[in-house]
Amino acid sequence: MSTQSDETTKKVPTYCYQCVAGPDLLTVKVVDGVATEVEPNFKAAEVTPSAGKVCVKAFGLLQKMYNPNRITTPMKRTNPKKGRDQDPGFVPISWDEALDTIAERLHDVQAKGPNDDSGYPRIAASFGGGGTPTYYMGTLPAFLASIGPIDFSFGSGQGVKCYHSEHLYGELWHRAFTVAPDTPNTEFILSFGYNVEASGGVCGVKRHADARARGAKRVQIEPHLSVTGACSAEWVPIKPKTDAAFMMGLLHVLLHEQRKRLDIPFLKQRTTSPYLVAPNGFYLRDPETRKPLIYDLNSKRAVPFDTPDTDPALEGTFKVSGIEIGADTDAWEHRQEKVIPAFQKLIDHVEPYTPLWAGRICDVHHKVIRRLALEFLDHAHVGETVEIEGRTLPYRPVSIALGKTVNNGWGGFVCCWARTLMACLVVALEVPGGTLGTTVRLNRPATDRALSVKPHPDGYMDYPMNPTDPENWLAKPDVRNANRTLIPLVANSPWSQALGPTHLAWMQQQEAPEHWPQATPPDLWFVYRTNPAISFWDTQQITEVMARFPFTVCFALTRDETNHFADILLPDRTDLEGLQLIRVGGTKFIEQFWDYQGFALRQPVVEAQGDARDLTWVATELASRSGVLDKYNKAINRGAAGVPLKGENYDFTLDPAETHSVEAIWDATCKAASAEITDGAEEQGLDWYKENGFRLADFPRLKWYLYTEIEDQGLRFEMPYQERLMRVGKELGRRLHEQGISWWDEQLEEYDPLPEYKNYPEVWEKALERNFDVDIRDFPFWAITARSMQYAWGSNAGIQLMREVAENVSGHGGIVINSNTVAELGLTDGDLVEIRSPLNVTRGRVEARQGIRPDTVLMIGQFEHWATPFAKDLELPSLNKLVPMLLDLTDSTGSGSDLVRVSIKRVENAR
Amino acid sequence: MSVGGNPWLQTHWDWHVALNFLTGGAGSGLLIVAVLTGMPLTAPVLLAAALIGIGLAQVSLHLGRPLRSFNVIFNPQTSWMTREAFVAGPLLLLAVIAGAFDTLVAGLPAALCAAAFIYCQARILKESKGIPVWREPHIVGLIITTGLAEGAALALLVALAVGQVEALLPAGTLLLLLVVARFISWRAYRGALDGNAPHEALNVLARAEGPFVGVGLAVPLLLLGVAATVPAAREILVVLGALSALLTGWGLKFVLITRASYNQGFAIVHTPKRGAGSGGIGSKPGW
Amino acid sequence: MTRYVMVADLERCVGCQTCTAACKHTNATAPGVQWRKVLDMEVGAYPDVRRAFVPVGCMHCADPPCMHVCPSTATGQRPDGLVTIDYDLCIGCTYCAVACPYQARYMIEKPNKAFAKGRMRNEFQREEPERRGVAQKCTFCVDRIDYGHANGLTPGIDPAATPACVNACIASALQFGDIEDPQSNVSQLLADHKHFRMHEELGTEPGFYYLWEDV
Repeated sequence: MSTQSDETTKKVPTYCYQCVAGPDLLTVKVVDGVATEVEPNFKAAEVTPSAGKVCVKAFGLLQKMYNPNRITTPMKRTNPKKGRDQDPGFVPISWDEALDTIAERLHDVQAKGPNDDSGYPRIAASFGGGGTPTYYMGTLPAFLASIGPIDFSFGSGQGVKCYHSEHLYGELWHRAFTVAPDTPNTEFILSFGYNVEASGGVCGVKRHADARARGAKRVQIEPHLSVTGACSAEWVPIKPKTDAAFMMGLLHVLLHEQRKRLDIPFLKQRTTSPYLVAPNGFYLRDPETRKPLIYDLNSKRAVPFDTPDTDPALEGTFKVSGIEIGADTDAWEHRQEKVIPAFQKLIDHVEPYTPLWAGRICDVHHKVIRRLALEFLDHAHVGETVEIEGRTLPYRPVSIALGKTVNNGWGGFVCCWARTLMACLVVALEVPGGTLGTTVRLNRPATDRALSVKPHPDGYMDYPMNPTDPENWLAKPDVRNANRTLIPLVANSPWSQALGPTHLAWMQQQEAPEHWPQATPPDLWFVYRTNPAISFWDTQQITEVMARFPFTVCFALTRDETNHFADILLPDRTDLEGLQLIRVGGTKFIEQFWDYQGFALRQPVVEAQGDARDLTWVATELASRSGVLDKYNKAINRGAAGVPLKGENYDFTLDPAETHSVEAIWDATCKAASAEITDGAEEQGLDWYKENGFRLADFPRLKWYLYTEIEDQGLRFEMPYQERLMRVGKELGRRLHEQGISWWDEQLEEYDPLPEYKNYPEVWEKALERNFDVDIRDFPFWAITARSMQYAWGSNAGIQLMREVAENVSGHGGIVINSNTVAELGLTDGDLVEIRSPLNVTRGRVEARQGIRPDTVLMIGQFEHWATPFAKDLELPSLNKLVPMLLDLTDSTGSGSDLVRVSIKRVENAR
Repeated sequence: MSVGGNPWLQTHWDWHVALNFLTGGAGSGLLIVAVLTGMPLTAPVLLAAALIGIGLAQVSLHLGRPLRSFNVIFNPQTSWMTREAFVAGPLLLLAVIAGAFDTLVAGLPAALCAAAFIYCQARILKESKGIPVWREPHIVGLIITTGLAEGAALALLVALAVGQVEALLPAGTLLLLLVVARFISWRAYRGALDGNAPHEALNVLARAEGPFVGVGLAVPLLLLGVAATVPAAREILVVLGALSALLTGWGLKFVLITRASYNQGFAIVHTPKRGAGSGGIGSKPGW
Repeated sequence: MTRYVMVADLERCVGCQTCTAACKHTNATAPGVQWRKVLDMEVGAYPDVRRAFVPVGCMHCADPPCMHVCPSTATGQRPDGLVTIDYDLCIGCTYCAVACPYQARYMIEKPNKAFAKGRMRNEFQREEPERRGVAQKCTFCVDRIDYGHANGLTPGIDPAATPACVNACIASALQFGDIEDPQSNVSQLLADHKHFRMHEELGTEPGFYYLWEDV
């Protein structure tokens, strides 16, 4: 029991960051040198939004550490043949042999030059879990930074498993890499498949539980009754992939039935709604200043948008003069031409999207759509304000949240646009109670999203688009997923590669598209905390590609499906065995909104098992053996380990020529962190952090709300009309066509200034029929997936405790199918069934439930392990095996959806 | 697996425990019937003691901590298992004396102990609040009547085996009365259970009703009735009739203890409100 | 008088099983043994379906059938309402397990072993041999409560004196405290919410309350 306090018992503070909803702080009880219990960090109860608690996954860490199936020494492959059916023949080797073998490869790369004949980096690296491996990899980023260009485009789920459209459009419109309701203040949330009770971590769960207790209403619109649907006031079982139509229906009600109730002054002053749109679809501009024009109702003339004391027209048609600037050098001069404010364009645009129209598409009664639109308005409190830390802000306690599959792939753009626009219509964007961004990963600086707000000459926020003009467009991709070539919106930050069309990198290894560089495998592939062989789509194809990679180095917890193809396995220290200091607090992913910011330490709670070495030691050794120690140390000094070691009032930089111990590196980092947080006044080192675990300073609540920055800089939200995207799309199209590339044309269509609803379910159906020569009627069900809090990320499928507790939650036992459908198919609960898509087949047991649409089946998680110990015996299905990687199902941001059509058949004699 | 909250078949008490109810009930019944019918006591009573002893012994050996079996006597205040143990000692002792000396002086109190023993067994099941088909009060009558019926059946078999022809009529008559009583007890028990046990448990009992209750009534009545009128085939008919009464009783108890013993499961009186929503109706899955 | 009870706010509970896992750590229970767990219940028919997450375990009944049937007096009841098991007295007859209408009791004979390949260091460290072959169930983390009393702490308020499941609950759905104290956290919650207890018709007077709606 935890109440003993004799000498042999201690509680060691550390953190859990297995998923992006973290980090959360915890302590580990250690008795006689053995870790026995994970507990909340009660000392952090008052200063963290998670109340010092961790979710169920953190309790799996003990079994992860003591797992008898762990790889605890370096190993090398002895069977040169690679394939799923091949035994790799791994044999233990010394660290020296392992590191020297890798260093030799690195020397080879350095000798040949960093890029291969196709212009792609010879070295590639893949990390999993939405960037969370960064919080476990110590100084590995410093090492990678010191060995030249790395190709990060072999995704392990990025683009297909993340909030992809939200990442890109969210950052464009309100610096929101992910989007969250201001849950502590909200009254009403429309949640389109946003499964926060499974994916929102401790903060998400706690904030929403508090909101429920406060009486907030959340409506879950989703094909199955998820954990989140269960915790919502209302469940609306929508047909898969028709969310965009639902949202268009909501917009129609607001714009055509309730327009007077919108926040008209805000729309005029803080959005681009009044900007006049010229005949070619671009803004009408002032010939002198080239600024977009608005029509001033006071002076009855068109004036630049930033003219003081105007009353901009939102509706109507006006005959005015000006210039129109299109793509590249296109320009038109207009004299007394009919132009329309963007807002009027919007009104006209959504006119056909009535609730009746939407209801028929979504298989939801139109009255429900209209009622929810009205409830949204009722709860918006238009006109009310609230004071936050002395500043008065609009109070708009309504929000819309989007889940994966809703904001991924085709339709994601429409949904993100409609969601952001709904908020703008009532000023519920970036204000208390409304829809908020959390953090930035594409804009810079990453540490402060308010500082990333910079003005664009057109009056809204600037954005670091990848260039599409003839001179600067990156015609020849520099990495295998061509992110900067194809996706202007993905920008060029360290995160951008991972947000390119990551399946393109895998697909091209099989067959390169027309007029495209010959795809090459990387000479050397590093894999850390990721398992794309089961976590990406078309897992069969992925594994075939991996088998062709000449040299793969995997950091390994246990044997798994990806490291089955490795040449070298390096034992990974688990979460409770490594040393690292990270930034915490402020506003981070998902629902991590803090009133503090600072640093937290992860430390070995007991001695590492076997001969697993700290990753910082591994990185230092690799840097040293491959001759880049100087660059490596300088990278650490610059902040590659998370904290720059030199500031205005302090300097803890490491001697670049020396090899530094793990403790020395993190001691310097801790001191720099303390100094940074106290402006150089204090410099507590590693020992202090080991004892105390974390160090925090205040984070102003006002910084949750970007509206303050918009207001202070006199900017507008770029809503509703997407003139900039339209221009970028036209330019990109021209560049691609100049190269003879037409296989991206469907994606180019998406650069709509006002997105139109397409029949998205049909997009999937037709793509499957086209690519697999099937009749879609033979695959009558939609197969979807959902998040498992118990398993998601962190190799938890191989952990017995996680399996045991996950079985308590519906869906973890197999394939969830509507009970009536089960009966109609002549099946019974527990039957083994074969789920077949046009691509492949998976098996699982029937879980008959009422809480799912009759035309939909649900497979939680991404299982079907065949190499990972314990997990391979679970006999669980996986949607990943069934979903094809198709260009036809890739949207303009490079993302796709976890969605496919399937048939169900009983496996006879299998009970 | 906790999805749903449905009752599931308990596995704590398996055939080891069931055997104690089978042999203990039949043994006690035999002892009582032997004394009531005035049979020479040696054979039936020693057989009864052996049956009771075997049941108790093997259930003790299958305890989690068999070496602590003695602790079973610590709770006579409320535990029918302790009371069963309390009765078992004198019962076995008196039975052995009665068997050894064929004396009614020991036989009568042994029969009383056997009655108490069978009653204890019935109450053990009735106090198992976690198993709806056990806790139904009518189970007491059912366990007693079936134990006595099994005892009467055994008495007939013993009488035939040792040639106590004079015991056949009273024991046979008693058996006929007891299978009828057992049937009536069953009907009362089943009637009381309707709506008071999980569907799965009731389904198991429904499936058991024909082979065990129906056969357990009809076959002994028929065979013993025919035996009374057809002296030539009397012995074989009595044996078959007695065996059918015995085995159906055992089968019924075996099903009751190991196959129909679905636990209570879980239930909620209301589903909760979630935020601005309202609470809803509850659920008692599997019932 | 004191009677410790558990209160589960069904509106808050999300079925995440963090309490389940925390209990398994704190009490080193065997694979498959869950002194605390959360049910995932579905009510109604499509499309009018509700799903509720319901924490269960030993209800620490005021009139505990498990105690009445226990032949060895291993199962007892403390003045503060906790239903206890004396592992040294228990004979492992599992009569209590069939008497409990909440399926809260387990009996495990083998040492813990989560992975087929071998036992883990933490499993050796938390051997708990006294718990083999006897009945086991949720204790309401009785030693924490006793530690709290010995050190002037309030069970349900101070983490060191509070059951692990309550400490770990990320939704603050589980609360623990003295129902006899009208000012206690649990008394206040019960006063502010409509509530029920499970299988109340069986007369066990469980010490586990479910909140389902505001008063």
